[in-house]
Amino acid sequence: MDIRRPLRPLPRILKARAKGEDPDLVEAEERAARLRKQRTREKRRAELRLGLMATAFGLAFLAVGGKMGMVAMAEPEEPAARGQAAAIINSRANIVDRNGAILATNLRTASLYATPQDMADPLNAVDGLMAIFPDLDADRLLRDFTGNRKFVWVKRKLSPEQQQAVLDLGEPGLKVGPRELRLYPNGAFAAHILGGTRFGVEGVRSAELVGTAGVELEFDDYLRDPANDGQPLQLSVDLTVQSAMRQVLEGGMQLMNAKAATGVLLEANTGRIISMVSLPDFDPNHRPRPPVSGDPADSPLFNRAAQGTYELGSTFKIFTAAQALESGVANPDTMINTRGPLRWRSFTINDFHDYGARLSLRDVIVHSSNTGVARLAAGMGGEAQQAFLGQLGLLEKLPLELPETRRSAPLLPRRWSEISTMTISYGQGIAVTPVHLAAAYAAMVNGGLRVVPTLLNDVEMPTEVDRVISESTSYALRDMLRQVVVRGTASLGDVEGYLVGGKTGSADKPNPQGAYYEDKVIGTFAAAFPMNNPQYVLVVSLDEPNIDVLGEERRTAGWTAVPVAAEIIRRIAPLLGLRPHAGNETPQAPILLSSN
Amino acid sequence: MSFLAPPHNQAPRGWRKVFYVNWPLVLLVVAVACFGFLMLYSVAGGDLSRWAQPQMTRFGIGIIVMFIVGFTPLAFWRSVSLLAYAGGLVLLLFVLFFGSVGMGAQRWIDLGFFRLQPSELMKIALVMALALYYDWLPPEKVSRFGFVLIPLAMIALPAMMVVVQPDLGTAILLVASGGVVMFLAGVSYWYFIAAFSAGVGTITAVFMSRGASWQLLNNYQYKRIDTFLDPSLDPLGAGYHITQSKIALGSGGLSGRGFMQGPQSQLNFLPEKQTDFIFTTLAEEFGYIGTTFLLILYTLIMVFAISAAIKNKNRFGALLTGGVAATFFFYFALNMSMVMGLAPVVGVPLPLVSYGGSAMLVLLGGFGLIQSAHIHRPK
Repeated sequence: MDIRRPLRPLPRILKARAKGEDPDLVEAEERAARLRKQRTREKRRAELRLGLMATAFGLAFLAVGGKMGMVAMAEPEEPAARGQAAAIINSRANIVDRNGAILATNLRTASLYATPQDMADPLNAVDGLMAIFPDLDADRLLRDFTGNRKFVWVKRKLSPEQQQAVLDLGEPGLKVGPRELRLYPNGAFAAHILGGTRFGVEGVRSAELVGTAGVELEFDDYLRDPANDGQPLQLSVDLTVQSAMRQVLEGGMQLMNAKAATGVLLEANTGRIISMVSLPDFDPNHRPRPPVSGDPADSPLFNRAAQGTYELGSTFKIFTAAQALESGVANPDTMINTRGPLRWRSFTINDFHDYGARLSLRDVIVHSSNTGVARLAAGMGGEAQQAFLGQLGLLEKLPLELPETRRSAPLLPRRWSEISTMTISYGQGIAVTPVHLAAAYAAMVNGGLRVVPTLLNDVEMPTEVDRVISESTSYALRDMLRQVVVRGTASLGDVEGYLVGGKTGSADKPNPQGAYYEDKVIGTFAAAFPMNNPQYVLVVSLDEPNIDVLGEERRTAGWTAVPVAAEIIRRIAPLLGLRPHAGNETPQAPILLSSN
Repeated sequence: MSFLAPPHNQAPRGWRKVFYVNWPLVLLVVAVACFGFLMLYSVAGGDLSRWAQPQMTRFGIGIIVMFIVGFTPLAFWRSVSLLAYAGGLVLLLFVLFFGSVGMGAQRWIDLGFFRLQPSELMKIALVMALALYYDWLPPEKVSRFGFVLIPLAMIALPAMMVVVQPDLGTAILLVASGGVVMFLAGVSYWYFIAAFSAGVGTITAVFMSRGASWQLLNNYQYKRIDTFLDPSLDPLGAGYHITQSKIALGSGGLSGRGFMQGPQSQLNFLPEKQTDFIFTTLAEEFGYIGTTFLLILYTLIMVFAISAAIKNKNRFGALLTGGVAATFFFYFALNMSMVMGLAPVVGVPLPLVSYGGSAMLVLLGGFGLIQSAHIHRPK
């Protein structure tokens, strides 16, 4: 601020007075100059202030423009969940049958979860979810959604329709994640073979599929190994045969009023299982929970073919005959004492019919004489019997590729006494699985080589090392088995053109008191076909069958399991590529001559 | 257009005033409004009658009002300034006790055909009153303490009445544009520095005290402040608008998704998409190019308004022009920072673009005052 200039500066006043001018004029001039100066200063200041404001506003525009640019150029970024320690490997291999048809595959679906802290309206969300999934628990959902939980699984599997319905709710706290589902497109067809899967480590973006039973569990490591590069697991099963067998068996089970049924079909020369059915069964897509009460062996989850051990009765007689032939104790025409009843200490062995004083060994089998085989077995001794049955694999756990088989060993007498030897000769007092029986029958008819049952398609052929009986014994046994069908207890089992042979067995079921039921049997038919060159072994077993034939109750295998087995063979033989044999007589001699 | 003006020094009279109108400013305002119609047509899903047509009608009325205000001599506006301010205060008081409630706030007076929002009127009335005050006050007294307290009270009174409505956005706008008028009038820099330091000091003290033994606020109050300042802490509650608008801004990219193609706005993810958040639709559909274009239009409006203020030798006219321009700017700046997540959501429309009658009418009336000051400026 400069020194204030007076309005009447003395020098100017004096000068004006000297000139005779009005000094007030000087004052007016000075006043005007001061005002002008002030105006200019004001104007400058106003301009400066406006300029400053304009600059500030300009900077603000620039800032907005810059920020806009940054937002607009930003890379799109999805909020991603972090913290999953290891990536979930989710590429479970398919399972296919021997022809490559899919038995198990993966389907991409979705899972539904909730993050309650994101929920806009939990009540509305619960209402909406209940409308879509009536099976959910509304109270529990509401508790979960309104409580302190940060994450809630709502539904593990969603159909596309359900997924859309959930998204239509518009609830930001309900989220859908991708998830692979194990799909068994054929439903229950091969339920017990395949087993099932469950979700292991569950993530929002994927979930691990872990095998829980069957081959899914047995080969879990292989199926989950990404190194296999999606190479499917090929089974020996034939889907079409499996389907036909299951269908006939199911019908047979109903017809025979049985509470359960089992069927096993395997290749006589290799042991490959082509079909294995256990009824009742389940849909592996919705594998039921294991039962908490009752006998687990009555559950649909229970694999009666490979896990359940049963006394299979007279089907075992063929082993006694084989042992006798093989050891040279008898030939098919050797006469055996069949006089009954046979008493041993407090024990009495009876025949179904009285067959007279004696029968040839062939006819002992054909007519299924208990007393005959019991005497034969007693004569050969318990140790020899044990050794022979052991060779056939009947005394050890089933070496099948199913985890369930390792949980059930054959039931054997604690002490292999003489009476045990006698009862075991006709299949009581020993319990094995139907697959055990089928594999042992394969050795009986295939020329004498032991086969190991398998569910895998790649298999080693049995060699001479695996021989249990000689070829000639095997041929003799084929003849006997064929005779059983032609003129014996399994006469309903003949299927024209396929030369069925086999042995029936109707075993009394044990009751919980340690004795046997009077009216409950397991009817079994162990068959092989075609008998001139047996390719397949079929074991059909019905639990507690009971039919009414001409006003008479029938329970024995000849009336129950045999006709069912015949129907199965009628259905599956063409599927297996077998051509029917012209004529129905047993071409006995040519077999022996053309044997290899 | 001044080259068409007759060479005399008197203020123009009658229809001659048309030659003295600041036409570039008028054209820019019309251009921005047209941009708004386009966006309103788009967010209505191609429905003209829903928002665009009423908005056009309002704009038409607003433009007529603007010209009427503009052609009215500035002396008239100067003489009614105090009256307008007093009337505004009375209306605000009225609204506090009898106003109708909408959107959780009590802001409107329902006139039947029109819902008057006195706080909008107050924005212009305050600027007018302050301009009058500084026109009356000799410049050398501007920075005296007593003469600074008077305008501060003039600003604080309506601002406080608006805050309790509650309408924080308008209150900020009132304080900011009032402060700008004081600044333009030449109030010493020290006052502004002092006010700024006091503000910063208070905020710092409030935050410093958190957790300390002399804590100034309750914990829940701090939490509210936290959410207010950083809406992303509550992305589905307070922060929902901003999260969604950020998505829309980002998805627009450089050139946008095309007219009527913006998924965020077309699919109703954005609430208030036709009012406060219309900028997001613009950004989404026309991208960075579109938003920059609008930004340039706004900048040009500011340039013409401020240069008109600089040219104006009438102190009242210059202050009025500067004050109205500042009000316009703060509308824009608050809305923009709100939409881009730079500032909390306070409910300020995008000037001349957002759907709504009050703000549009008030702004066009304000532009009318700028025109009046321009037309009747001393030569």
